[in-house]
Amino acid sequence: MSVYEFRHTESPQAAADWTRRQIVMTDLRAVGGRAYPRINGMLREPSWVFFEILLPFLATSAFVFVYRALQAPPQYVGFVVLGGAMTAFWLSVVWMMASQLYWEKSQGNLELYFAAPMGFMAILFGMAVGGIVMTSMRAAVVLVVATVVYGVTFEIDQWFLLLLVFGLTLAALYGLGMILASLYLVWGREAFQMNQLLIEPVYFVSGLNFPVMNLGLVGALAIATIPLAVGLDAMRQLAFVGSPFPVGTPSVEVEIVILIAMSIGFVLAARVMLAALERRARRDGRLSIRWQ
Amino acid sequence: MAVTASTVEQAVTPVAGLGSPEWGGFDPSRTEDRGSGETWRGFRAAVSLGWQMQANWTDPFLFFVYSVAKPVSAALILVVMLQIISGGNDPEYRSFVVVGSALWSLVMAGLAGLAWSVLDDRERFRMLKYTYVSPADFLIHLLGRGVAQVGVGAMGAIITIAIGIFVLGVPFDPAAVDWMGLTVVMVLGLASILAIGVMLAAVCLQTRQESWSYPDAVAGALFLVSGAVFPLAVLPLAVQWIGLVNPLAWWIQGVRTAMFPGGISSIGGTGSLWTDLTGSTAPDLTTTVVVLLVTGSLVTLAGTTIFRISERRARDRGLLDRTTGS
Repeated sequence: MSVYEFRHTESPQAAADWTRRQIVMTDLRAVGGRAYPRINGMLREPSWVFFEILLPFLATSAFVFVYRALQAPPQYVGFVVLGGAMTAFWLSVVWMMASQLYWEKSQGNLELYFAAPMGFMAILFGMAVGGIVMTSMRAAVVLVVATVVYGVTFEIDQWFLLLLVFGLTLAALYGLGMILASLYLVWGREAFQMNQLLIEPVYFVSGLNFPVMNLGLVGALAIATIPLAVGLDAMRQLAFVGSPFPVGTPSVEVEIVILIAMSIGFVLAARVMLAALERRARRDGRLSIRWQ
Repeated sequence: MAVTASTVEQAVTPVAGLGSPEWGGFDPSRTEDRGSGETWRGFRAAVSLGWQMQANWTDPFLFFVYSVAKPVSAALILVVMLQIISGGNDPEYRSFVVVGSALWSLVMAGLAGLAWSVLDDRERFRMLKYTYVSPADFLIHLLGRGVAQVGVGAMGAIITIAIGIFVLGVPFDPAAVDWMGLTVVMVLGLASILAIGVMLAAVCLQTRQESWSYPDAVAGALFLVSGAVFPLAVLPLAVQWIGLVNPLAWWIQGVRTAMFPGGISSIGGTGSLWTDLTGSTAPDLTTTVVVLLVTGSLVTLAGTTIFRISERRARDRGLLDRTTGS
């Protein structure tokens, strides 16, 4: 029997008393429902192929040519290509996770989400799943095309570990996205400015185009706090085995532990923050306020 | 009420402000085009609106920090790349990348300002249709909003260059700067940036909410063919051709020539298409200005034409009041 099938109950209170299965199924449907427009939207407006794959590939190429102009060792071109692919996920976290609730508020959808009978974390998971599917396509194309065009040679000994690090990096990144999304719940126009602050400065401290420990203490702090920095550094160590990394670079094992801690910590923190900030937003009447 | 000679006289007399004529009827003079004065007023209002939307959400200091963080970080990424590879032994190239990345913040701001004006008004504030039917020309309104954003970008560019000079040791001699040439190049360059921004606004009129990231994507692609942070000579010849018809490449070359005479050229140099074609190592400032004028004019013409086509299509398909949450 479908969880949505009408069932006779003794009272409205009994109708509202959902079974565990109903709750889980509704949340899963919410995840699918929120991921659907992102995934299906890719097919409806093909212009994204040009704007979100070709142009970012050209942007990545610019940094490749900077290294070529400087006659840098070939592995640096590989560092840029890997960094360029991973920026897609960071941009997705900033634009499609963090600020999404702000857009939803502006468009009047947010109050509908809160009024609907599912957990809000399901909406955030749905946004993350849709964003990961959309963005993986872009990242994969940038990675493959740039690798072929610029003749990048990866030296990978441990494929499984590399895939594990990639998965953990995505989990940590989108977990952070959920935290930021909850913050954006109470922010107004500053949310948009915050996005600006979260792009180039984060690229810089995360070592987008170079091993992050070249930044010394700043790099170490980034590894401890920013999933993009630690994930990218671990992936570089695994994808370019034998390349020299700056003194003080943590081992891949240590970085995996950091990523696991971030993944769990960020999702739990997002849950707590979402509840707290939702309460505050309800109290201050900010859930339905727009355009301020 | 009987219509008298007095009420007819009032009807054709323009009334100051937005109030109705004293007799309460329709003032036909309001439908008349007031010419360039009205255009200028609409432009100023759009600049003011754009600036307030950008700046009045916080106190000036915080706004300043937000505005300069992006361009300064972009420059630092390149400076660190340079430091890692050359060990800081190439101060000339350091000034090359600092100036290029500082100027690029103007490009980012100009492109984003116009495109985001369309998206802001349509998706967030849902004002696009009202803006469109207001008496001010829609394109002039968008240009005004874009200019406000360029103002924010200029702040970032100036701070980045200042940090380059005072912190990163970029060699700079104010007495050696060709200030007149710099002014001319800046005016022509900013006009070209706005023209490209108009094209992007035209695209955003047709596309969805994900278009928020399009300015960054387009600017990133243009970055490759503008000689902002590396000389065009390192690109394949076919791509160098694209660079040579790109007004932004000439703008950046012009600014470098005016500010750092005798420095590294982003257009010419060994192995460059420019040197192959002309035999000269680098274009002089006059040549740069002439080519910038020609390429900038072509881009402006293309931008205006594309915008008008997009505008017609948007009206035809009802895109002006569409919202596209995804």
